[in-house]
Amino acid sequence: MRGAHIACCDRCASLTGSSRGTAASSPDHGSAGATASATMVARRRLLKAAVFRPQAEAGPGGNGADAAGLAPDDTGSQTSGFANIFQLPRSVAGTILDVSPHVLILGDGSREQRFALTPEAVAWCGGQLEPAALIQGDRAIVRLHPFGRNVADRIWANIGRVTGVITERSGNQLLVDEGATRETQVITLRPRSLGRIQVRFPTLEPGYLVDIIGIRRRDELIGMIPATSQPAYPAQRLPAPPLISGHVPNSITGSATWHEPRDEPAGILGVSYPALDPETGCAEDLAGGMRQGYSRMPFLAIGSVLRVRNDCTGSSCRIPVTGCTPVGRLFNDRCVTCGTSPRGRVADLTLASFIALGGELERGCFNATITIGE
Amino acid sequence: MTMLHAIREVQIPLLAAMLFGGCAAKVLQMIRAGSAGEHIGPTALFPMHLRRPLAIVLCLVEGGLGVGLLLTAGRFGRNNPADGIRLASCLLFVVATCALIELRQSRPDVGCGCFGDFSTSPVNSRTLARSALLAIASLSTIMLRPITWPRTTAGALGLLAILGAEVLLIGVLSPEVGEGLIRLGYTEPCELRNVPAARTLAVLRRSKHWRRYSGLITSEVPEDVWRELCWRFVVYPARYQDRQTDVVFAVFLQHRRPVVHVALVDSSTGAPLEWPAGKQRTRWPGRAALLGATRSLSPAFNAAEARPAPADLPLSTDL
Repeated sequence: MRGAHIACCDRCASLTGSSRGTAASSPDHGSAGATASATMVARRRLLKAAVFRPQAEAGPGGNGADAAGLAPDDTGSQTSGFANIFQLPRSVAGTILDVSPHVLILGDGSREQRFALTPEAVAWCGGQLEPAALIQGDRAIVRLHPFGRNVADRIWANIGRVTGVITERSGNQLLVDEGATRETQVITLRPRSLGRIQVRFPTLEPGYLVDIIGIRRRDELIGMIPATSQPAYPAQRLPAPPLISGHVPNSITGSATWHEPRDEPAGILGVSYPALDPETGCAEDLAGGMRQGYSRMPFLAIGSVLRVRNDCTGSSCRIPVTGCTPVGRLFNDRCVTCGTSPRGRVADLTLASFIALGGELERGCFNATITIGE
Repeated sequence: MTMLHAIREVQIPLLAAMLFGGCAAKVLQMIRAGSAGEHIGPTALFPMHLRRPLAIVLCLVEGGLGVGLLLTAGRFGRNNPADGIRLASCLLFVVATCALIELRQSRPDVGCGCFGDFSTSPVNSRTLARSALLAIASLSTIMLRPITWPRTTAGALGLLAILGAEVLLIGVLSPEVGEGLIRLGYTEPCELRNVPAARTLAVLRRSKHWRRYSGLITSEVPEDVWRELCWRFVVYPARYQDRQTDVVFAVFLQHRRPVVHVALVDSSTGAPLEWPAGKQRTRWPGRAALLGATRSLSPAFNAAEARPAPADLPLSTDL
C-alpha cells in the first residue's frame, strides 16, 4: 500500500493503529508507542512547515524561511515528503519455521511468510554459513532483495547487540547498563571469542564502555564480535569534547550504528540521535545522569528529520529522530567500515533503517553523513 | 657560518623545547587528573598493566633528553656524550613516528598524546609529519660542533629567522595549536547552546507576536515545545471562529530581540489558516506562572494526547 504521501522507504505506520505491514515482528509489541511517535513526528513536521511557510503565504508574523536562515527545503514542506527510496533493501523479522537451500519460511504468531533465497544468499549466526544450516526456531532478520518483495538475499539469525557501561564482571560474564529504560544486559564471553573481543575492548572492567555483537540466547548475549573499538576512558571520566567554532555544519560525517529494538517495534524506521534538547530530556538517560557526552552535536528533538547517507554504499534516506542514544554519545570511537570516520557516533539507527541503508549488521556500523534540516 | 650549519644549530633548542613541552604537559596532566595519559598515545597499544609505567618512563625520557640536549649543546659534554644524547633523541622520534603509524592503523580513534590531553585528536598525516620532521631535525644535530652565540647582529637575526620559520612549520603541523586557538576565542554556536525553555517562553511573551495573537490562545500551558537547531517551537491551543486551532510560534534562540515566526493552524488537519483581522490581546500571568507552566510540561511531549495528523509518516511497523 503505497499512498500518495510517500514516507521513507515507503513503509508507513497507520495512524489509526490498523495493521498493514508484512509484519513478521510482533505486531503488538510497542505498537501504541510507535503510533504515538508517528503522530508526534507527523504533527511536528506539519506545524514546522506551517510556521515557516514561504513569505507569500505567510501570515502577519512570518518573514519566510529565508529570513529565518533556513534553506527553502528546511521548512519541512509536507508535500515534499520523504525521499523516494523504493530501491533500498527492506527487512523482515520472524522465527524460522523451515529453511531449505531455496526457500525460507518465517513465522510470526499465526502468520507465515515464504521467501525465495537467491543463489548468493548467505546467513550469519555467529559466523557466515549457508542458509540451509539455520535451525528451526531461530529468530531471524531477513534482508529482502530490492527488486523482489519475497526474495531474500541476507539472513541474520539470533543476532543481538549490547552497548553500554559495564557495571559488573563476574568471571566470563559482564553486566552492562544500557540506560535507565532498559534492563541490565548480560554478556557471556566464551574463551574462543574473548581474545578477538579484547583486541578492540581491552578493558572489560566496571565503568568502561562496551559494544559487542553476538548471539541472543534467552536473556543473555553470547559475545562474538567487538562492534567497534573501546574508548580508552571510563564512562564517568569523559575527556573534554572538542570545541566547535562558528556555525555548526548541516552535514556531519561520523559513524552510524544500530541497536536492538527493545521497546520499539522491530520495523520502525527511525534514528536515535545523541543530542536531543536537554530541556525535553532523554528518557533513556543513564541512571548516572550523564546529560552531555563526548559528542557535541546540534540539538534536535523527537520528530526532527535527518538525511542519513551510507558513505560506503552511497544509499541515503530521510529518517525521523525517534529516540535518544545516551550511551552512544559517550563513545568517541571511529567506524572503519570504509576508511576511518572523522568522528564518533552521529546516529544510532533502528535495525530496519540500518539494513535499508545497506548496513551489514555484523559489522556494527557504517561510515555515515547526516544532514540536518533538509 | 654557512646556512646549513645555522639550520643545524637551531635544532638543538627547538628539540629541547618540544621535549620539555611534551614532558611538562604530561606532568600537568598527572597533577590535574591523576592520570599519566596512558590511555592516549602509543601507550594505548600496550596491555593495561604496562601502560602507566610506560607513560611515566616516556615522560621521564623526554624530560631527560631535553635537559641533556641543552647541557651538551655547548662545550660541556662535547663529542661522545653530546652525540649520544642527540642520537637517543633521534631514536625516540623515529620510534614515535613508527608507533604513531601503528596507532593510526590499529586505534584510529586515539590521539597521539604527544602533549598529554592536549593531543586528543586522532593521529593524522600532520601529526606523523611533525614526528618525522623532529626525527630528521635530531639526526641533523649529530656530529655538530658546540653551539656558540652569534658574533654579529646579522648572524643572530638569521638564526632567529630560521627558528621562527621552523616554529611556524611545526605549528602548522600541530593539531594542538588549532584547538588552542579555538579555545581562546570560543563562543558556542547557538545550535549547541543549552537554552532553558522557560527563557524562550519569557522571550516569546515579550514579543509583539505574542501581544498580537495571544487573545486566541485558550491555555496558559503550551501543548508542545520542541527544539531544532537554533529554533524552539512552541504550540498553544487556540480557538478561532468556533473551531479548534493551534498557534505555533518559532523562536530563534538568541538573547536579544530574537526573530519570532507565528502560524495559526487547524488542530485536526494541521493546515495553516488565515489570520483574523485586528489585534487579539489579553493579560497573562507573570514569570512565576510562566515557570510553573514550563515545569508542568511533560519531559517529552505526551504523545497519547496528540491528535492524529494526516501527514506523510516516516515510521514503519511492517517488519
